[in-house]
Amino acid sequence: MKYTIPIDSHHSGSITLFKIVLEYMNDVDLATSFAIFAAKQRGAAQVTPDHILLGCLRAISRFGIASLGAWSLDLEALGIDWVRQPDGPRPKVAYSQDAVHLLDLAAQIAKSAGDAGVDVKHVLAAFAAEESGLMGELKNTYGITSASWRAAVSKLGAHETETIAGAGLDRAANEKKSAREYLTPEEASEALGIHVQTMRAYIRGGRVPAFRLAGERAIRILRRDLEKVLEPLEGEKKED
Amino acid sequence: MPFFVVKRDLPGVTPEALKSAGIRAKSCCAEMTGEGQPVRWVRSFYLPETAQTHCYFEAASKSAVEEANQRARIPFTQIVEVMEMTPEMV
Repeated sequence: MKYTIPIDSHHSGSITLFKIVLEYMNDVDLATSFAIFAAKQRGAAQVTPDHILLGCLRAISRFGIASLGAWSLDLEALGIDWVRQPDGPRPKVAYSQDAVHLLDLAAQIAKSAGDAGVDVKHVLAAFAAEESGLMGELKNTYGITSASWRAAVSKLGAHETETIAGAGLDRAANEKKSAREYLTPEEASEALGIHVQTMRAYIRGGRVPAFRLAGERAIRILRRDLEKVLEPLEGEKKED
Repeated sequence: MPFFVVKRDLPGVTPEALKSAGIRAKSCCAEMTGEGQPVRWVRSFYLPETAQTHCYFEAASKSAVEEANQRARIPFTQIVEVMEMTPEMV
């Protein structure tokens, strides 16, 4: 999936226009995190395959739309609040036995595909034969078959490119950075052309969601969340 | 924070099932940490001859490690606190 944001940045006294094509990497950790969130949001005691499917769709979505093959799946229609993080008390949830079987199957699919790790693609592929639950509903609603689902999933994570105009930045270095979904505060501030302290203030103020690595102090920012601090210019002529 | 070893007997377990368990362990540790109960899965060793795994966690308490494993639905036989020792420490 490819997405372009124009960023007007006042940096070192000069105005620079960056066009950055953000690259997504499917991330099973993100999907499971969203799955747990979905379970909590629904007051469920267990994380079920339905929650995992929602988590996977959320992980590959943009602005609440998961584009998969010919289908644009609206997360709102599926009952997902794709903007807000959960508020208030966070109930404890555990994986259900069905969820365990699903993730086991995803790992087997990864192995059969010759992939070293389990990715969100493998988890989505594990739903191909599922006829019940949310997957069953999606199949009925969108006319999805096992084959068409697997075909669409196989195209996820296709190679994207990045273009950067202006500023004389080293293209190769930025391509390497743009391949990563999670950024350090320093990298995130560099991407927006702002001071790192400004980025940290955004994080403290909640303008940019940030995550702490489990049990560690290190902070990571989801690249796609950077656009949350961008506001369209109104009544001003945009530079090109 | 203290370290704990989680011992498991997993006869017949496949490498894929271990990966699946790892995914669940990571997500549950991250979730509990987000809830204010820090737990970190450090690493695991699989002992093929005995079909056992020894999984090392860092957490404030044994109960936190136990809860993370229960949430991840990974069976275990024993959780005990361990003392870390490396060649550099002796």
